[in-house]
Amino acid sequence: MLNCYLRLAIVVVALGSTLEAAGQQATEMFIPIGQSPGLSNKESVIGTLESVYPGKRMVTISNSSGSQTVGITDRTMIWLDRSEQKQPNQNGGINDLQKGRKIEIKVRKGEAKAVAEWIKVQVGP
Amino acid sequence: MRWLNWSRWYRKVLILIVLCPLVWVLSAVSACVSMPSPPSDLVSKGRDIFFNETFKGNGRTCGTCHRAEANFSINPSFIATLPANDPLFVAEFNPDLKKNFENPKLMRQFGLILENLDGFGDLENKFVMRGVPHVLAQRTSINSNQGPRTGWSGDGAPGDGSLRSFATGAVIQHFTKTLNRVAGVDFRLPTEDELDALEAFQLSLGRQQDLTLPLPLKGIVPKRGQEIFLDNKLGKCNLCHANAGATANFGGRNIGNANFNTGVENLPDQPADLSGERNPPDDGFGRPGDGTFNTPPLVESADTGPFFHNNAIETIEGAVGFYDGESFNNSPSGKLLAQADPNGVSIELDGTQIVAVAAFLRVLNALENIRQSLELLESSAKKGFAERAEDRDLLKRAVSETQDSIKVLDGGGLHPEAVAHLQKAKELAEKAHSSFFRRSGLTQQAIDELRNARVQLIEAS
Repeated sequence: MLNCYLRLAIVVVALGSTLEAAGQQATEMFIPIGQSPGLSNKESVIGTLESVYPGKRMVTISNSSGSQTVGITDRTMIWLDRSEQKQPNQNGGINDLQKGRKIEIKVRKGEAKAVAEWIKVQVGP
Repeated sequence: MRWLNWSRWYRKVLILIVLCPLVWVLSAVSACVSMPSPPSDLVSKGRDIFFNETFKGNGRTCGTCHRAEANFSINPSFIATLPANDPLFVAEFNPDLKKNFENPKLMRQFGLILENLDGFGDLENKFVMRGVPHVLAQRTSINSNQGPRTGWSGDGAPGDGSLRSFATGAVIQHFTKTLNRVAGVDFRLPTEDELDALEAFQLSLGRQQDLTLPLPLKGIVPKRGQEIFLDNKLGKCNLCHANAGATANFGGRNIGNANFNTGVENLPDQPADLSGERNPPDDGFGRPGDGTFNTPPLVESADTGPFFHNNAIETIEGAVGFYDGESFNNSPSGKLLAQADPNGVSIELDGTQIVAVAAFLRVLNALENIRQSLELLESSAKKGFAERAEDRDLLKRAVSETQDSIKVLDGGGLHPEAVAHLQKAKELAEKAHSSFFRRSGLTQQAIDELRNARVQLIEAS
């Protein structure tokens, strides 16, 4: 009997620990760069897109603290921030990651290499 | 003799003439000095924002859906009392929000609110319909080992996913003027200070700590319900709802709030589905979802139905009965329980046992209502003459809590003697609310009646 519940405990604890608590992505895309509550400038990196390596699926972001290279996966959400133009933000793609643009990157937790969970790119009119 | 009578009559009239303007002046002064004073602390600032701030959106506030008078939730019977121009119904009168913002039929019939949790790219097809969870006892219910879990599936907040960030997502989803959802045009985002205040206010609501079960209950059926609830071989409720709260407790280790796939989505004949309206499946946590939803606290459950994320079940008895059904027992969580059971049984309860567990939850809820009513009345009793507006608000909320306790006990045919005391307490609090001079005495009598009611439910500690 004890074994049964011990097994249950192990399974459930293991199951629980795989469920990383996450910020909601759906509404995140409508939050302008730098305004994500509890994240911007704390857990995300805001800067200028220094270089893009589409083949390697990597981008380098730089700001006054230095530069950081981050991987992009199929799960990385890319959003176009058009709030400065008073236009609705949109889903984007890797082609929208153009050198010199202002971006904000949230790095996924618990990965061995730095991988972007989402990237916001400021786009002009 | 006649002259003396005339003299007395004249004196009485004179006193009345003097007193009338005096009472009028006192009332006027009272009204002036009891005008709501500017918020003096974070919680009261948060309360003000919660109920009054529209964030330059479509007119809704947090309190539009999380009504104080409906236990910070909303349900169809409450919705039916609202005027047609209530901001809840904004999709019915704002042409920009007529399509793909809400489903008024499902809102009015079943209290369901539209959410685009898997993104806003295909508004016509990608949405879910969810009930409004109460926001009570959040201090006890949202922390997990993996971080905070908010909303029905634990991923209700953008940003860092915390309760503090929740309002930002809610404004984007529910407050927007148009479906473009442009910050600074369709709404403004809450400021850092506003988020701090909203979080403080929400954390102040309801219980601040979990119970320690078992409680020394008096009723035979609720007492048996508690035994079943705590029995890890029978009811197994306490595994995922430790102490009737929202945290899971396995092998003596509390893992905080946890997400489970309990098969609620697989329930047959869900009311919203029967309506014929579009009601896509809800995939729960994440994007795409993994089918899990987080665990709500149970102490507040009996007066905050309908139950589950999709308002699928109306009564607390039905909600307990769900765990004896096919949908739960064939779900990943049900199978897990069966695997751990020496007889391979998940949860197997008979009708009387289901009712007993529900009776236990009804009594827990009533005790919490009484605790809150007492707290409100005791605060009210301390208010001075100049704080009359605040005092009346406290009394109004106490009446509402007491009414809930009556409904919860009466609905299960439980503790009629306690119900009688609660009725008296409610009447006295109502009188205190409208009384000018006897407020204090009536409030104290209401407090006594509430204590009398509590004694019927639980042994004095």
